[in-house]
Amino acid sequence: MANLNIDSVKSRTFDAIVIGSGMSGGWAAKELTGKGLKTLVLERGRDVKHLKDYPTTNLYPWEFPHHGVIPTEVQEANPIVNRCYAFGEDAAHFFVKDKEHPYVQEKPFDWIRGYQVGGKSLLWARQTQRWSDFDFEGPARDGFAVDWPIRYSDLAPWYSYVEKFAGISGNRDGIAELPDGEFLPAFPLNAVEDYFSKHVKKSYQNRHVISARCAHLSKPNPIHLEQGRGQCQERNLCQRGCPFGGYFSANSSTIPWALKSGLCTLRPFSVVESIIYDEKLGKATGVRIIDTNTKQAIEYFADVIFVNAAALNTNLVLLNSTSNRFPNGLGNDSGVLGKYVAFHNYSAHISAEYDGFKEWTTDGRNPAGGGYIPRFRNVYKQETNFLRGYAAGFSAYRRGTDNSDGIGQTLKDNLAKKELGNWGVGSHMMGETIPKESNYVTLDKSQKDQWGVPLLKISVDYDDNDEKMKKDYIEQMTEMFTSAGFKNIRAESDHRAPGLDIHEMGGVRMGNDPKTSMLDKWNRLHACKNVYVTDGASMTSTSCQNPSLTYMAMTARSVDHAVSEMKKGNI
Amino acid sequence: MNRRIAIRNMALVLASAAVLPSCLNNDKGKPVVQLKHLKINADQENLVSNVAETILPKTNTPGAKELGINLFIFKMLDDCNTKQQQETFLAGLDEFDDAVKKQYGHSFNDCSQQERTAFISSMEKPKPENGKKDEPAKSAVFYNMVKGLTVFGYTTSQYFMTKQVVYELVPGRYNAWFPVKKQAV
Ligand SMILES: Cc1cc2nc3c(=O)[nH]c(=O)nc-3n(C[C@H](O)[C@H](O)[C@H](O)COP(=O)(O)OP(=O)(O)OC[C@H]3O[C@@H](n4cnc5c(N)ncnc54)[C@H](O)[C@@H]3O)c2cc1C
Ligand code: SF4
Repeated sequence: MANLNIDSVKSRTFDAIVIGSGMSGGWAAKELTGKGLKTLVLERGRDVKHLKDYPTTNLYPWEFPHHGVIPTEVQEANPIVNRCYAFGEDAAHFFVKDKEHPYVQEKPFDWIRGYQVGGKSLLWARQTQRWSDFDFEGPARDGFAVDWPIRYSDLAPWYSYVEKFAGISGNRDGIAELPDGEFLPAFPLNAVEDYFSKHVKKSYQNRHVISARCAHLSKPNPIHLEQGRGQCQERNLCQRGCPFGGYFSANSSTIPWALKSGLCTLRPFSVVESIIYDEKLGKATGVRIIDTNTKQAIEYFADVIFVNAAALNTNLVLLNSTSNRFPNGLGNDSGVLGKYVAFHNYSAHISAEYDGFKEWTTDGRNPAGGGYIPRFRNVYKQETNFLRGYAAGFSAYRRGTDNSDGIGQTLKDNLAKKELGNWGVGSHMMGETIPKESNYVTLDKSQKDQWGVPLLKISVDYDDNDEKMKKDYIEQMTEMFTSAGFKNIRAESDHRAPGLDIHEMGGVRMGNDPKTSMLDKWNRLHACKNVYVTDGASMTSTSCQNPSLTYMAMTARSVDHAVSEMKKGNI
Repeated sequence: MNRRIAIRNMALVLASAAVLPSCLNNDKGKPVVQLKHLKINADQENLVSNVAETILPKTNTPGAKELGINLFIFKMLDDCNTKQQQETFLAGLDEFDDAVKKQYGHSFNDCSQQERTAFISSMEKPKPENGKKDEPAKSAVFYNMVKGLTVFGYTTSQYFMTKQVVYELVPGRYNAWFPVKKQAV
């Protein structure tokens, strides 16, 4: 018997455990196995294999029962996820439905999730920008949150490292607040995007409209072909999973790479309930999971643990990992675990028309989505009545007129006749929000999920700074649109709840001082040195750039550190 | 991944795709289409199909019925409308048919082709009812729902997207600057 147990423990012991198999967990798996560690990747959802498990990827619009529209019953049963723009008939199966995994909204918060191998990396809009020193120095300069323990220079080589493997298209634009990367060719701006770009350059100091940088293989390198991925075919059906591997997802890239090493065990249907802390050894020894099929609790053991369950679930796992040493959650000596959650604010947008460039249109589709306007407010100095700033998307498109007048042959003719109308232009804001102690997540004291794990309670809201920033976005964009000669300008602000922007961050923030932060400059718990957190939970502040590329870079950097610490015998 | 393999995968998925609800039985009085929420009888079903066919008749190209758009309309009404919208639809249908009876002395289903076209043409330009501008007549709401779904079903149908315009699942190109002269449509 005793022997059997020892054998069983042995079979459940790995060098490393990764919690979560999405955007950041995929990178942890790839790097750990790449450095020779026997790695267990635990994923709460089902497996989604590249190509095999993309059921809608090659369907034509008419092959969907409702031609793309989500049935009312589904919409009504899922008010939260239904608010996400990408929740259509083609990709609904990659989103968590409201009832499946409830949470408690102390304040309205639209928590958009993907629970499966690949996580949200299957669904993302693939916008990728590096953060800059203006972001990492932000809290210290502007006096909020705590100082980041790292600067851009700490991350720069790791950005390069992950960009080369993931494949990022873009131009080298030479903008200090948006550092250049290792780029594949950019998707070019179209006539009106280019016109607006030149107009802005001429009329404003330090404002730019550039080709959006995105995780698409515009021109694959050998390393991408080696992953089994090919050139992006400009389908723009990416959220269904791409049969060409044209965009970066954990499913097409990092996870299969890790599996190919022979060192990776991928275990789907495994909800990590908590991390096991050994008080005698003074470190974490493994994790406890619930198998979602059998409801059985199983323990797995490893020397080092990477927590990559996506920001809020990472908070949940740590909060639920209690022991005598850490009664308030693993590593939570400071009491800040779960606090200083922040997000991005996408709640304003603007559209207009332009009647020039009638001789030009576009042909095909642009997977990058058009242009990107890097943050231009409060960059070099504080110059407005709000802190930080916003980036913006910008795109121009020319559509055929949509004439459904008449009946009979007239109607048929009208529908078939595609006369090109004016160019339309549009933009949406992407604002940075300020992490505050009053924006937090905790565990609900009584309610549990079907595996006996406490429900997450979310209490996150906008503030006055967000309102001022939004007003400024609308004013500045209206002015820029007006001076460019755009007509019929319509600026709107919507009243979405936080969360819908799907860039929630914080709760396990990095910092130099263990009294006010959870993680050190290597993304490991100050108080439990063999546990690393490298997803959005670790962000001290949120920048206004998209976050995922930064999670990837941080993950690769942290694995490098962890493995060198292991070699030194420190872990 | 190599493109040819992807295209082969594509063909596999295509072959197994199901499209529209099937016509099950044809008993008189019983609707042909199986619906989950919307309760309609055979007359109402015919009326909607006839309205759709009048909006989009068979000419030298296929019409609503041939393309199964009438069935698509029912599927969308049944699955993608709220209970309230469905009630509005049914109330509007009755009002619509009453108006037809008032004008021609018989139901829309018994109208000649000419009568149908004339009546539908008059629906195309809805007059504000009794000066009440903001609340359109129920019959107009009904008509607009059928028209909207007919147009949506048609413009997203395989026929339209392959024969009238060409929808490409895989463009394989993005030309950011494309001269309008070269545009095929
Ligand atoms: C529609 C959409 C558009 C987006 N657009 C962009 C964009 O343009 N640019 C950008 O940078 N970002 C974008 N994002 C956000 C991006 O997807 C996320 O930032 C990124 O996926 C986060 O990576 P992650 O590893 O933290 O989490 P995920 O990729 O979500 O992976 C987390 C994984 O952990 C698993 N997990 C959770 N809890 C547990 C547990 N207890 N035990 C075991 N497993 C667990 C989950 O099932 C999941 O698979 C977008 C997201 C969506 C949905
Ligand atoms: S745009 Fe590129 S990445 Fe997206 S589905 Fe198409 S080929 Fe794939």
